[in-house]
Formats: sequence, C-alpha cells, structure tokens
Amino acid sequence: MSDSSPKKLLILGMAGGLARITTGLLLKRFPELKIVGIDSRPMVREYPEDRVNYLRIKYTRGNFEKVFRDHDFDSMLHLGRLSHAQSGSTLNLAQRLDLNLMGTKRILDLCLKYKLKKVVVLSTFHVYGALKDNPTFISEDSSLRASIKYPELRDVVEMDQLVSGWMWKNQKELSTVILRPCNILGPQINNTMTRYLTAGYAPVPVDFNPMLQFVHEFDMAHSLAESISHIPTGIYNVAPGDAISVREAKKIIGLPTIPVPIFLLESMARGFNTPFWSFPHYLLDYIKFPCVIDGRSLHKELKQPFRFSIRETLELLKDN
Amino acid sequence: MFKQILSKINDASSPENKAFFDQIFQKLEVRYPNREDPWGLNLRRARKSLERVWPLYKHYFQVRCFGLENISDQPFIVVANHSGQIAIDGMLICSMFSTEVEPPRILRPMVERFFTGIPFIGSWAAEGGAVLGDRQNCINLLERKESVLVFPEGVRGIAKDSSDFYEMKSFGRGFFRIALATGVPILPIAVVGAEEFYPLVWHPLKLAKKIGLPAFPITPNLVPLPSPVDIHVGKPFIIPSELSADAPDSELDIHINAIHASIQKMLDEGLTQRREFIANKVSEKFSTRLNKKDDV
Repeated sequence: MSDSSPKKLLILGMAGGLARITTGLLLKRFPELKIVGIDSRPMVREYPEDRVNYLRIKYTRGNFEKVFRDHDFDSMLHLGRLSHAQSGSTLNLAQRLDLNLMGTKRILDLCLKYKLKKVVVLSTFHVYGALKDNPTFISEDSSLRASIKYPELRDVVEMDQLVSGWMWKNQKELSTVILRPCNILGPQINNTMTRYLTAGYAPVPVDFNPMLQFVHEFDMAHSLAESISHIPTGIYNVAPGDAISVREAKKIIGLPTIPVPIFLLESMARGFNTPFWSFPHYLLDYIKFPCVIDGRSLHKELKQPFRFSIRETLELLKDN
Repeated sequence: MFKQILSKINDASSPENKAFFDQIFQKLEVRYPNREDPWGLNLRRARKSLERVWPLYKHYFQVRCFGLENISDQPFIVVANHSGQIAIDGMLICSMFSTEVEPPRILRPMVERFFTGIPFIGSWAAEGGAVLGDRQNCINLLERKESVLVFPEGVRGIAKDSSDFYEMKSFGRGFFRIALATGVPILPIAVVGAEEFYPLVWHPLKLAKKIGLPAFPITPNLVPLPSPVDIHVGKPFIIPSELSADAPDSELDIHINAIHASIQKMLDEGLTQRREFIANKVSEKFSTRLNKKDDV
C-alpha cells in the first residue's frame, strides 16, 4: 500500500487531542476518506463533516467486532493506549495491562481477519527506559529496558513488543508502522510532561539536568498522517534532531520552579498526586537520566519535514 | 602573598582574560547556536568551569603544549596516556583544546558508566562536555563532527602504583574499531608531569573490589601537587582504509601497538625535557621505568 490514499479509516482513542488534530489533517489531505472514531470517553467536540462517525464503545467489549463487520476499513490508527495520565490512580497496573495488551491483541487479530491494508500504532519512547548508561540518540533497534527498574512500565514495553512481533509475522498480509514518539507537547495534549512543564512552582531536579526532546502536536499528527498513507512497514522513533535540558525547557516556559534534589522528588511523587504535583514516580527517571532518541529513519521517509523546533514548540506551549 | 594567590585564582575575571574567554565563546556559540547540545553540553556552564580551571591550568600546573600544529580543524579521536589518580589530565587536555587550539573546540572526554549517575558531578561533567563512554555514543558524536577524548588504558592506566609511573598499560581495542567505523583519524597525545600529582601512591586492589570501586588510591597528599605538566601532541594516525571495522583482533593489534608505541616514545622523550619539580625525585626513586632509563 505504498503511497496510496486510505478510503476508510478506523481511529482508536478518538476523544484524545492528538486524534482530533490527526483527523483534521487526514480529512484535508484525503478528500475521499471516511473515518470511524472509537473511544470509551465522550466526544469533546463534534466534527462538522459527515465523513466522521464517532462511536462511544470500549474496544475490549465482546461486540466490538461488529464495528469491523459494519465498515469496510482499509486502515487503522491505534491511538488508544491507556497512559498513566489518562488512567490516573483509578486503574492499577493489572487493569492497564489488560486493556493495553489484551485489547490491542484482539484488535490486531481483527485487522488481519478483515483484511486491512495498513495499521499504525502509537507507542512511546518510554519503552527504551531512562537510564544513566543510555547513549545519546537511541536507535529503533536498541533494547527496550523501561521495565528493568519499574514494573509499572511493563504494559508500555509489552504492548510495543506484542505489536512488533505481530508486525513482522504478518508483513506479507498488511503493512504496519509503529511510532515511538518523544514527549508530545501542545495545547490539545494532556500528558504528564505537558502538565509538568505548564505547572507553576513545579519541582525541578537540582542534582541532575538531563536532555529532553519534544515534538509539537501538529508534527506528531503529520507523522501519523504520513504513516497512514505511505511510510513502509517498520518501527520509527519520532523526534527532532535536537534536545534541550529540563532546566532550559522550564526557563523557556517561564513559570517559577522549585529546585529539589531528586531523592526528595521521588518521595513527593510517591506521596502526592495533586494538581500541584502529579507526576508518577516511575516516570521520574525521565527527568533524571537522558533518553534521547534518534528520529532520522522517520525523517528520511517524511515528505514534509517537521514544522516546529523544540524551542518553538516550548514557546507555543508558553503562549497557550 | 595571599593577595597574589587570590589574584591568580581570579585570573579569569581580569579584563584581559575576560576578553580572551569572550572571544573563545563567541566562536563556540557559532558552532552551538542553542548554547546546548543533545549530549548535555551547556556553553554557559562550560565557560564557568573553564574559568575555574584556567588559573590551575596556567599557574598551578603551568601547562606547556608541544605539537599544536598537528591539530587541524577536523574531528579527531584524541588518544592519550592516563595518569595522576584522578582525571585531572583529561581536564587539562580539554582546556588546551578550548584555549590554545584554533578554532577553539570543546573536546568531549568519554567517562565511565558509573560517573554519569552521580548526583551533581554527573550533570556538571555533562554540562562541561563529558559524555558516556559508549561505542554508539562515540560514533554519534563523531558523525556530528565532534572530537572525543579517549583513554584506552582505562582505569588501569590512571590507578597506577608509584612503581608503574610512565609505564603505559595495554590499550583496549574499542577506540580503534570506532575509528575504523567512522574513518576519523586518531590524534596521539602524551601527558608528562601528571604522575607527580600524587608521587607516593598505593592501590589495595582487593579492597577496592570489595567496596565496588574501580580504584582506591592511598596517598599521603590529598591535594594534587603543583607538578608542571607538558602536553605533547603527535602527528595524526590515519586509519587504514583497507581494514574493516569487524576485522579480527590480530589485524587491529599491529596498528594499536603502533599508536601505543608512539605515545610511549613521546612520553620517554618528554621526560628528558621536563621541568624540575621536587616530586620528580620521589617518582624517580620508586618508578621501575624511570630507574631503567637512568641505567641506560
């Protein structure tokens, strides 16, 4: 399906900000495209076009296959991984594992059964793990070490591995793309890093200053749209070629910070989960040690380069 | 006398030296427009560190450089002998690349894995230009036209007893495989004088192993002595194009031994022209190599 226009697309996780932006881009780029969006959450904003059909169901439900029976999909975009920011403290690890792993496995099998031609799955750079001995610019074939230290990241790693194995096994039947983006930032994105950067008086480690990468929500949506249309089977990191230190990033955002040693931050993250400080303790290593990824493979495939640099992304976030 | 010491410590803040550092960092800002790089370099912090090290470089260790004409404007894998118990030699070589080489550059020293996880020190080193000693990391740096500093003797080189002074340990092969993979030439460097920072030293290796440290030097002086340092830069070693990065060790060893021998030769010659210092006599008394040279 190289360089072909999708006709009917299924989007999982349709209520999220990234799905909204990607949908807008896809509708603009492919005038014939029809989209069915699925989410267990209510739709925040209706689409004016009748080309988008929103269904509020859980994809772990038994009757989910009906969606595939009723629509003749040729592609699927899986943005429905449940992250910590979405699940919060209401879901434990076992429930997240069940939703992310069992749910994804079932959907992939349905994609195969109903002969879809293209599947794009959104993973995350968290799979590599933030460790003190990480090289700068981690490539896609590096080992996934996130769960060495924190079992809470097991679902992230296992889902990525599940899709990778499935992708190579079925590469003759359909083309699959796995995207591992760095921190996605933007006014419509509600993830841990966006909340951390936009929080006033957020603690900043005084004893470590790792390099971070950010991709603007528009560039991320652009990468997803291009993946659907022409990017060949494979795993791709999504990141700009540069990085910025956590202190410099906070400085650009311009909000006041509290310098704190990291061992105190760990206690704070375990003890509090308030709007003031909502940062899961198992993600703290990502503001302690570097996890800078190499996005060159994707950049080679993209027809248009990223629009925003890291600094521009942060400036735009500041303006919102 | 106190005033004199103070003025030397604050040497970097004198108007003359401020202009000198301004000029260096203006050039470096062209290379690093964001004043940071993905490995954690921070030009503002790097300048502060350099301004602190500069008085030590200039007045305390009185560094002299030889063979600077061998450093052309291109990336290098800088390979040096390691000595002095703590990595002051690396700091001095990096200072030389920033202050005495045209155009000035931030030489990226490769550091041990345990180092990057130490609070404050790890980030301070990264902000000054240090990077993790990892093969892929090194290749990525060289691809971005950075120069790296490697001590192929590793910890065995720096943690020597007095009896082994100026006797280089064997080299690891990693640096040469990286050079083969990238085609970046190797620049050999010999540092003379750093062994006398701690002229009397003993390493209880079993104790170090038990407490999980790579080395555990026992020495009467905790502060390094002001031994004058000479840095000798050799001619670049051009990487043989016919050799593959995956060639067997035996094919690599001929070249690695040649680089080892060239640095050892520079060291031996450097010892004959070094300046007088009280600790030289101590090291000459205990070092087997220096005694051998005397016999000859």
